[in-house]
Amino acid sequence: MASKTKKDDVVRIDFAFRRELAKKVEGNLASFCYQCGACVGDCPSTRYGSDFNPREIMLKVLYGLGEELLGEDSVLWECTNCYNCAERCPQDVKPAEVIISLKNMLSDRGAAPATAGKVVETFYACGRTVRESSAVDRLREKYGLPPLPPVPMDEIKSILEPLEEKGEAK
Amino acid sequence: MKRFAFFPGCLIPARYPFMEYALRESLPKIGIELVDLEGASCCPDPIYFKSNDKTEWLAVAARNLCLAEEKGLDILTNCSGCTATLSESYHLLKENEALKDQVNQRLARIGKEYRGTSRVRHVATVVRDEVGIDAVAKSVVRPLTGLKVAIHYGCHLLKPSKIMQVDNPDNPQVLERLVEAVGATPVRHGNWYLCCGKACENEDLTMSMMNDLLSTVNEVEADLLGMICPTCFSQFDFGQLKVGKKFGKDFKTPPTYFFQLLAFAQGTPYDMLGFDRQRFKPKCLKEIEAKADAS
Repeated sequence: MASKTKKDDVVRIDFAFRRELAKKVEGNLASFCYQCGACVGDCPSTRYGSDFNPREIMLKVLYGLGEELLGEDSVLWECTNCYNCAERCPQDVKPAEVIISLKNMLSDRGAAPATAGKVVETFYACGRTVRESSAVDRLREKYGLPPLPPVPMDEIKSILEPLEEKGEAK
Repeated sequence: MKRFAFFPGCLIPARYPFMEYALRESLPKIGIELVDLEGASCCPDPIYFKSNDKTEWLAVAARNLCLAEEKGLDILTNCSGCTATLSESYHLLKENEALKDQVNQRLARIGKEYRGTSRVRHVATVVRDEVGIDAVAKSVVRPLTGLKVAIHYGCHLLKPSKIMQVDNPDNPQVLERLVEAVGATPVRHGNWYLCCGKACENEDLTMSMMNDLLSTVNEVEADLLGMICPTCFSQFDFGQLKVGKKFGKDFKTPPTYFFQLLAFAQGTPYDMLGFDRQRFKPKCLKEIEAKADAS
């Protein structure tokens, strides 16, 4: 990965990192960022936190400073997902989406926080983010509602299987 | 009756079924019929599931959209998170043929094909655009006169506005008009545009933000907080207690999901709307009910 602490003090762009990010859905949007900073003024995580700055994150993406973004306890998880940045961006970069693509890279590396892992695990188990239970169904009954209908997990599992490399026969 | 494929999501049917009940009670009274979608899964979650793998997220969302297409109906959502996932997926698959082709290769395994024929509509916009605010006002039998409702839009109902297409994110009106229609007075507090912070992993950051938000709610002396998202609701229910303790502030404005208010104003009893399960109970509504019963 690229580093800005090389002996000659020159930032070398890590293209492998950028190629990996570009493969994610909407992962290539940062390429259109011209660092105007419109995203920063309305960012609640910049205002209330100390480390989070969407313009800086986009700059690190452009340089490919992967190790600064993809470590344990990455600052990316401080994003509130409010989309104010996407609203303000004159280039349609959608910094929040780029951040989510980076989080996909974190997940690929097994570096997502426990909260995220729990939600994903629950979905894989039952197709919802809240598990069915007799307590849930009793509560629903109080309001005259039927038990939660089961999710057809065979269908879900089938579409979650990755695509074959060369595409699938239709 | 206008018919819509009902997409209840996870949080509302499993954690807050009284919100589902409120919707099922109130919507037919203003001319909206909900058609259940058999086999629907989580939308899936636009925060953590999407952070795990966007391609999986898109495939599951497309499958849910297919269920509505098979019924030939637009989707009605009741949760801002579901609205975000499904609207964004609709938008991505419309713009990007290659993505649509990849998604359809996955869907072909279960005999489905995504076409893009069902639009995604949040219930607030369906009410505003399909039956109109007047129909809401006409359905009210006990108006919430005199109650000040601090409006909390939350983020995903409005943004990104190009995709959500619900209202102007810098000066939205839809919740104000809905709250007026049930006879209450909507109030815009100083920090109305702030996020609830539920999707942020830094708790100190979230708590400071909520402290600012709830402080301006207190300044306007609102009787209730009015919102449209079950995730924000959870943050204002138990979250409010935590923030108040941490900052030594008296935060206690009861949060309400708008359709609890509508059903109540249409005459559904207080006891059937889950208010008793909330950490901060809307006593002002109990008083309205007591007065109505006495007269």
